[in-house]
Amino acid sequence: MTRLGLRLTLASGREAIIRLVAIAAAVALGVGVLLVSLAGINAVEAQSTRTAWLNTSRQNLRPGGGEATADPLWAKGNLDQYGTSVIQRVDVAATGPRSPVPPGIPQLPGPGQFYASPALSRLLRSAPRAQLADRYPGRQVGTIADIALASPDSLVIIVGHSPAELAQDPSAGQIRSFETAAQGAPGDPHPGRMQLILAVVAGALLIPVLIFIGAATRLSAARREQRFAAMRLVGATPRQVSVIAAVEATVATAVGVVAGFAVFFGLRSVLATVPFTGQPFFPADLSLRWTNVALVALGVPVIAALAARLALRRVQISPLGVTRRVTPPNPKAWRAVPLLAGIAELAYFVGRKPAGTTAQIRAYGAGFGLAMVGLVVAGPWLTMLGSRLMARRARRPATLIAGRRLADNPRAAFRAVSGLIVALFISSAALGIITTMLDYRTASTGGAAGRDILAQPFGDRERITPDGHRIPGGVTVPDTLLAQLDAIPGVRAVAAIHADPSAPSGPAIGPTEGPPTGLIACADLARIPALGRCQAGAAVAAIPWVGMDEGITSHAQATVRVWPAAPVPAEELASLPVAALDVGTDGSRGAIEGARTALEAAFPDRDIPATLGDISADNAQLIEGWRQLADVAIIASLVIAACSLAVSVAGGLIDRKRPFSLLRLTGTPLGVLRRVVALEAALPLLVVAAAAAGTGLLAAHLFLRAQLDESLRPPGSGYYLAVVAGLGLALGIIAATLPLLRRITGPETARNE
Amino acid sequence: MTGARPPARPDGATPLLAARDVVKSFGPTPALRGASLAVAAGEIVAVMGPSGSGKSTLLHCLAGILTPDRGEVWFGARRLDTMGEAERSALRRERFGFVFQSGQLVPELTAEENVALPLLLGGVRRSAALEEARAWFERLDLKGLEARRSGELSGGQAQRVALARALVGRPQVVFADEPTGSLDSLSGEHVMELLVAASREQGTTVVLVTHDARVAAYAEREVVVRDGTVTALLDQAAPDRAARS
Repeated sequence: MTRLGLRLTLASGREAIIRLVAIAAAVALGVGVLLVSLAGINAVEAQSTRTAWLNTSRQNLRPGGGEATADPLWAKGNLDQYGTSVIQRVDVAATGPRSPVPPGIPQLPGPGQFYASPALSRLLRSAPRAQLADRYPGRQVGTIADIALASPDSLVIIVGHSPAELAQDPSAGQIRSFETAAQGAPGDPHPGRMQLILAVVAGALLIPVLIFIGAATRLSAARREQRFAAMRLVGATPRQVSVIAAVEATVATAVGVVAGFAVFFGLRSVLATVPFTGQPFFPADLSLRWTNVALVALGVPVIAALAARLALRRVQISPLGVTRRVTPPNPKAWRAVPLLAGIAELAYFVGRKPAGTTAQIRAYGAGFGLAMVGLVVAGPWLTMLGSRLMARRARRPATLIAGRRLADNPRAAFRAVSGLIVALFISSAALGIITTMLDYRTASTGGAAGRDILAQPFGDRERITPDGHRIPGGVTVPDTLLAQLDAIPGVRAVAAIHADPSAPSGPAIGPTEGPPTGLIACADLARIPALGRCQAGAAVAAIPWVGMDEGITSHAQATVRVWPAAPVPAEELASLPVAALDVGTDGSRGAIEGARTALEAAFPDRDIPATLGDISADNAQLIEGWRQLADVAIIASLVIAACSLAVSVAGGLIDRKRPFSLLRLTGTPLGVLRRVVALEAALPLLVVAAAAAGTGLLAAHLFLRAQLDESLRPPGSGYYLAVVAGLGLALGIIAATLPLLRRITGPETARNE
Repeated sequence: MTGARPPARPDGATPLLAARDVVKSFGPTPALRGASLAVAAGEIVAVMGPSGSGKSTLLHCLAGILTPDRGEVWFGARRLDTMGEAERSALRRERFGFVFQSGQLVPELTAEENVALPLLLGGVRRSAALEEARAWFERLDLKGLEARRSGELSGGQAQRVALARALVGRPQVVFADEPTGSLDSLSGEHVMELLVAASREQGTTVVLVTHDARVAAYAEREVVVRDGTVTALLDQAAPDRAARS
């Protein structure tokens, strides 16, 4: 039987070959998307493993070898900025010849030496020296190799010092090995966020891909079923017919799987350059494990064979012909219950925010899960309602026929687009939440105060960190630095915020609570109006430190930026230590980066000076990665759903060849039939897309109201562009099936059938 | 031999429908080799012949479904064989009605919607089209079946629905290609009686292709197609024709 199945698949003439090619092409597309998703997860893992050394601490999860015999290494990690790019800076000082060496460099840089990643090396050469290179004393002695970098675009620098130098730096610590465990490895309390996101995206795409592959294998099922009926007439048993169907599906799918692998490896280097996660990959990162290969190579044909078997169970193939099993009963209204329950659950928590992270995860996770599953369950019922309404209101024959067909079997109509729901719901909900959080953050930068003022915090008193480091309080700012800052083009004013002598004395343990307040001379404040102003007649004002996140947020949220007078004479200010330095600029890159470079060079052992925009740049980069992935998921899921639809449209056309060709023969314009086909495909696509996106955004809104007391902000233009582009592509794919209509409904069809 | 006017009938009358020396091949296989036929307005003509003789091809050429390789096809004073596809489609939609052997109803639509379809295509409002369609259900003994789908109708019922659909637009010509081919003899007779009665009532011309002599007997005139040509005219010959008419 298997041999007969093979013969029927491969040597049954042109129609069989066309069917084989069509199924194989569809499967290749699906397999390609699957492989890219799997390789994407592997690539992020590879990135995470290579950059594990940047998460080194004194308690490494998986320390590098030779820890027992290694000489300690003074090390300090910090995130620097250049424009919107984050630079990962590592300062090191060897205490002996056996001090551990980070990956990617042959040996530790000595004092006055540094290694830079290729992208940073290029930036160091192209950016004005006073805006970047002056932050890194000494000369570049080499390039950090790819094995230590996340991406070809990574900006990483390893700066060498003497042990004495770093020993005085309160942020530096001694280590004996570098971390080798990737973020998210077992035991890591901070799971890899991007891996989690990618896994969700891959999961969201998996369902539409599998539905698509299943739909592809059912292509021209009616024609095949007629042939099976003929075989039953000459004595084939139902089991034998089932084996032949499975062989046909498996052969076509196997060809598709091979083609899918070829497409993946052919496009791998191009795909690597697409910054799906915010940064491009190295081409080799997009690799597949043997388990991935086995899963796809074996799993997809098995799924195809099962889909073919399932399709045959829906029809009764007797020796006298093919009869469809009785149309299943119409979907009932109870299908809307899970969806409503999910929405109601999320709505319940508005104003009743659960206490604790675990309770929150349970509450919101259950709500989102229920709403998503509810959409899938309610889909056929909603499709039926929509199509009945369409048929009832139809004035044109095309709308009437399409509405009736959709209402006849809403499950089948919905099946082709059901995969879309998962992807679009997740993407829309995620994008809604991201956009609102980003908007909230952008608003809290306080306009010019957050954007144009570079702040260097020092602290007003000594601080003891949880791991025992003592960070000294305020500093004395040399006049030469003030002059240097003033001389930078674009710098408008420099204001010092002094430590308040009335603040509590003694070292602060752990992070300070709330924005600490310092003192500023009203004459200085007047030179940086974005910071606010003093009360009339005051000489000194109490002001939160700008530069601390909370400080700027306070500025942003203050409706009246009039700072209260402080009972300290102006002449006493100069003798008080400086708790923070605010540099007012015109917002230009040259001014901000020039000032940052000067401050970093002057205070190498202090926090990196930053604007609020800089402070959130790292998060913003991650969120941008999220956003891009969500856009990719939206477009990919829409395109895959359209492919499924196109396949079912083509299948439906072949099944209805005769009535359609007879209608055409009797003078029905081809345009009417085209509209029937287009409506049958486009209507479920558009309705389901709107329902999934709408429910996703509603769920996001309820979550934001409950958790953050924020209302949903409309997603950015990127979201709408992705949806419109995806829908446009999808409709284009559906339109591509329309020429088939002309061909299969020609007069010869009516004559020959 | 071609002309600017349609060929005259043997009795000298101008025909409503005419084919003159029509040749049509499908690849290397000739289907018509110079067939000629003229049908008067209101006439019921049966085209007979064995399988593969070319009778369906002749009907398709007369209806403007196929364009002949050579020869002329006339509908009144208009030549179908030189018309474009869009014009022929419009003609088929507006002036002709069709009944085929089977499978012509749109399965998703109810019986009444199927009947109303030509009117809807012609731009008639839905309520008016359905009202018009329902009137045919009584005339064709289909009362009570309006809301059924094609799968819920017997073969005879489905053919009568198809007949109603062919006649609802009050066409000038009904082309029936083996309209009883899939029916038992009783149902077949019922369909033919209704077709003839309705055509007479509306003055509709009927071109009926069949290989069944009993069905052909309902026609006023029979022509026989053999090897792609019209070889015989059997006019008023059937013994029970007068009785039926």
